[in-house]
Amino acid sequence: MGLLRVSWRNLWRNRRRTAITMAAVALNAIILITTYSLMDGMLRQTVLNATELVTGEAQIHSPGYLADRSIYKTLENPQAILQTLREQSLPAAPRAYGYGLLSRGTKSAGALFWGVDPESEKATFNLPAHLAEGSFLSPNPQKGIVLGKKLARSLNARLGAEIVLLVQAADGSLGNELFTVTGILKSVGEGIDRNAAIIHLDDYRHLFVLPAGVHEIAVNTGGRVSLDKLSAILPRLVPDAEVKTWRQLLPALSDMLQLSGASMSLFGAIFFAAAGLGVMNTMLMTTYERSHEFGLLKALGTSPWRIVRDVAFEAWLMAAVSTVFAVILGVAATLALQEYGLDTSALAGETTIAGVVFDPVWRAALSIEAVVAPVVIMWIVCVLAALYPAAMSARLDPVKSMHRV
Amino acid sequence: MNDDARKIFSGKSKIGSKHFHSIGRRAILIFLPLAIFILLGAHPVRGETLTADDILNKVDDLYRGTSSYGMMTMEVVTAHWKRTLSLEFWSKGKDKSLIRILSPLKEKGTATLRAGNEIWNYLPKVNRVIKLPSSMMSASWMGSHFTNDDLVKESRFADDYSCRITFQGPGKGENVIELSCIPLPDAPVVWGKVEIVVRQSDYLPIVINYYDEGLRPARSMTFSKFAKMSGRTLPAVLTLVPVDKPREKTVVVYDKITFDLSLNNEVFSIRNLQK
Amino acid sequence: MIFRVAWRSIWRNRRRTLITAASIALGLIIAIFFIAMAEGVYEQIVNDGVRMQAGHITLENPDYQMAPAIDLRIGDVENIRKFIKKIEAVEEAKLLIWGQGVANSGAGAVGVSIMGVEPAVETKNSPLARDIVAGSYLAEEDDRKVVLGEHLAKELKLGLGNKIVITTNNARGELVEELCRVKGIFRTGSDEIDGYFIQIPLNFARKVFGLQADEATQLGVILKRPQDQPPVMEEIKSTLTNKNIEVLPWQQILPEVASYIRIDRVSNWVFQGLLFVIILFTILNTLLMSVMEREREFAVLLALGTPVRKLKGQLFLESVFIGCLGCFAGLILGGLAAFALQIRGLDLAFLMPEGVTISGFAMSTTVHALVTPPVFLWTGGIVLGAMLLLSLLIMRRIKKISLAETLR
Repeated sequence: MGLLRVSWRNLWRNRRRTAITMAAVALNAIILITTYSLMDGMLRQTVLNATELVTGEAQIHSPGYLADRSIYKTLENPQAILQTLREQSLPAAPRAYGYGLLSRGTKSAGALFWGVDPESEKATFNLPAHLAEGSFLSPNPQKGIVLGKKLARSLNARLGAEIVLLVQAADGSLGNELFTVTGILKSVGEGIDRNAAIIHLDDYRHLFVLPAGVHEIAVNTGGRVSLDKLSAILPRLVPDAEVKTWRQLLPALSDMLQLSGASMSLFGAIFFAAAGLGVMNTMLMTTYERSHEFGLLKALGTSPWRIVRDVAFEAWLMAAVSTVFAVILGVAATLALQEYGLDTSALAGETTIAGVVFDPVWRAALSIEAVVAPVVIMWIVCVLAALYPAAMSARLDPVKSMHRV
Repeated sequence: MNDDARKIFSGKSKIGSKHFHSIGRRAILIFLPLAIFILLGAHPVRGETLTADDILNKVDDLYRGTSSYGMMTMEVVTAHWKRTLSLEFWSKGKDKSLIRILSPLKEKGTATLRAGNEIWNYLPKVNRVIKLPSSMMSASWMGSHFTNDDLVKESRFADDYSCRITFQGPGKGENVIELSCIPLPDAPVVWGKVEIVVRQSDYLPIVINYYDEGLRPARSMTFSKFAKMSGRTLPAVLTLVPVDKPREKTVVVYDKITFDLSLNNEVFSIRNLQK
Repeated sequence: MIFRVAWRSIWRNRRRTLITAASIALGLIIAIFFIAMAEGVYEQIVNDGVRMQAGHITLENPDYQMAPAIDLRIGDVENIRKFIKKIEAVEEAKLLIWGQGVANSGAGAVGVSIMGVEPAVETKNSPLARDIVAGSYLAEEDDRKVVLGEHLAKELKLGLGNKIVITTNNARGELVEELCRVKGIFRTGSDEIDGYFIQIPLNFARKVFGLQADEATQLGVILKRPQDQPPVMEEIKSTLTNKNIEVLPWQQILPEVASYIRIDRVSNWVFQGLLFVIILFTILNTLLMSVMEREREFAVLLALGTPVRKLKGQLFLESVFIGCLGCFAGLILGGLAAFALQIRGLDLAFLMPEGVTISGFAMSTTVHALVTPPVFLWTGGIVLGAMLLLSLLIMRRIKKISLAETLR
């Protein structure tokens, strides 16, 4: 306790110097906290952008379905699975798929049909809102169809156009129906743009003669549940099925994000280094200034060890107080950025790359690490930066130290 | 272009026919009509030894300028379902054909019109005609093991292959002649070889085997139930089996055929398709 | 005279000067290095993209972009090409015939994008020609030959010399089927390219799609320097009389690539900006501390009668010197580092073991930087400017020095 009081008084003996140093530490720490959160937020957002659109964080299939998309490989009791997921507060949407032909006038094209439950899709994913024209499917099966952007173009299909669907049903017969275009998607990615034809699940069942079962259940918690946790829970809930996370489903995106993550870590390290250097610089200068003070102390009989210890403690104390302010302000700034974000639309605008919609507004994501790491680094830097000159002075001849100005 | 799109066009995913292995896709549909055409005036000259080209020429000659009308039953057996269709068909010359479904009731009136390289489907339920895009050519026709492309290719056997007799003698219970046919260098066929085994007596085919470029067997078509129909002897039953899915098959049974009738070109119009 | 004083003054406290200059230099080095590296990556992606596809500038049918179809073609291409090649900034003008179809083999059928190309031109330019891993690329005299990606070859179980039947609809809408054989297999590392694109000789493509001798889907202009795009586009547009041909920049042909670059550049700038803020604080701090430290020195000078203005001037000059020192060091070292990266390249394979694709284009794991003079100017300028502004701010403190207090 005595040490604390003495140290505190020591700090304030040179008010300006201490104030400047604390300001340096605090400001650097604030920047680190906000930058870390911003970068983290960007990465998380990119993942969300990718997964919230249509893929989800994880998908459940019948084992081997994705290899050949055989219409016969179904999840037989989707209602039960959906119920279980609901009980665990895991939003999910069921989907059934099948290949077939779309024709309008003289133009025709092959497509992958999606049978979906519009209410589930709207509640779980962003795709129903990602429309360039028209609206998504209505809750009741009304033979409406939503087309991918390029598919609609190749058929020359506009809203309200009548489309002929021709498919080979699960019982071998030729399913054919007339549907009406209710919506056209914005660009999502090559695959979906060219091939996606989305219809109501009940219409699908009728067309493909598949009275029960679906091919896929896609889960999306919007980042609420971590991927690790999902990978652990889902297989337990659906032991007979195959569970894949978005990293396995979208490997290109996973790679890209890993690359982004790596370069962000690099930047982060650079920031920390720069901040650290800045603080160290200040601490060094401050402590060197006090050389004659240390010389005096030594002349008065204080042991070198005590000098160093006191200096170290003062440095830490100062860092601690600064970081308290920094944390308060830093967290406040981060929360503001989390809420409102940084709008870069003037520079970049909204774009879609490989199925990921890039939101021009950057939001920060506050986390424990975002606060703890900068604080700890600042403490370490301050103490070390003070130690060196202190140790030097403590060992030198007092006379020499007192001469140093 | 990711896997989704590609799967649409891959042999593994024609209109729902996931059960067809890619290797077995390219069908020997040529012989559906080949059989018909062999009979279109196949007057095998007994005692005359014909060369491979002669046999082929005979076939093509008989094919040319003639017409036919008939009824057939097609049974398709796959790993997941079994279906039987009753079909009515017309053909004229090398490149016009019309096939219409008579039963089951759900699909009655569905028809396929082929003229030259183009194929149209008529769907009675929605009362629309669809022209098949090139991307659908390798898709299964009417759910069978035949593809749309086979329908188009039926008239080109002599144009695309060069054959020679590789065996003559006893086999399969009678004297046979085996023709080995290799595709011509520029012919747009993916096969490496086709083997045709015909009866020496009347040059009617017994079995046709397709091999891929590595000369591995891919599909096999057998002809049976030789019977006299409309003045000619012909195999009334064709069975197509993909080698890698031996339990699947498409069986075509000719119930009735008439040859050389006069058929107006109007029969092969889109308007007639929609009847 | 003031210059000499200022200069000597900064060297009196060597450590402080060096630390400050070093901070500035470091910030600049990092900024220049990373910006150059990013620009290098962008350039490589754009380069690969435009050389593989339709050039920095593309001439095509006005309706083509909306809904690509083989019947939307351009004519009179030979004359146009001749005139374009006369433009000094143009490196090459290439013809493309592009259509969609299905590639069939004994093992299956896959939807493909069919590119009819001129082998002589492509061999010099295209990444596909460069990335051949089996067999060889197309040659001028080839007719029914095709090169395709490794992924596609695997899917269709194709090896060199094997048959492919291409099924497609020609310009008149008729179904056509043509045989060709595999001459070469390429691997770019991008599944999207390796599993989807096939290339055939231009004349064969004309036959397949039913185009006339002087027709093509696109004419791509490859420039020697990407910066020349706007003036060359202007020149082409003004001379072209044919209303049925649209002249488009690659940014519209490859919008995803353009988007990716734009976004990445922006984030890069934001990060450099943040780093810059950190460094500014450091410098601010240093300046503050130095003024404080030297209060006694200033007090003495003022007491001796030095006009405040002169003192301020000296301080300002000191900042200028330190700033310049840091800037030069930073610009030179940063420039050297970036230049080294430009020449030698850095293999980042450890970061991305399977390779990375950006918008369908495979990025080579070796990155080269691209040093552009403007970068030096405005990074150096901003840093120097900020430095000077800060020192101006600091100098206000000088007024507040109370002589009596300080000299006590």
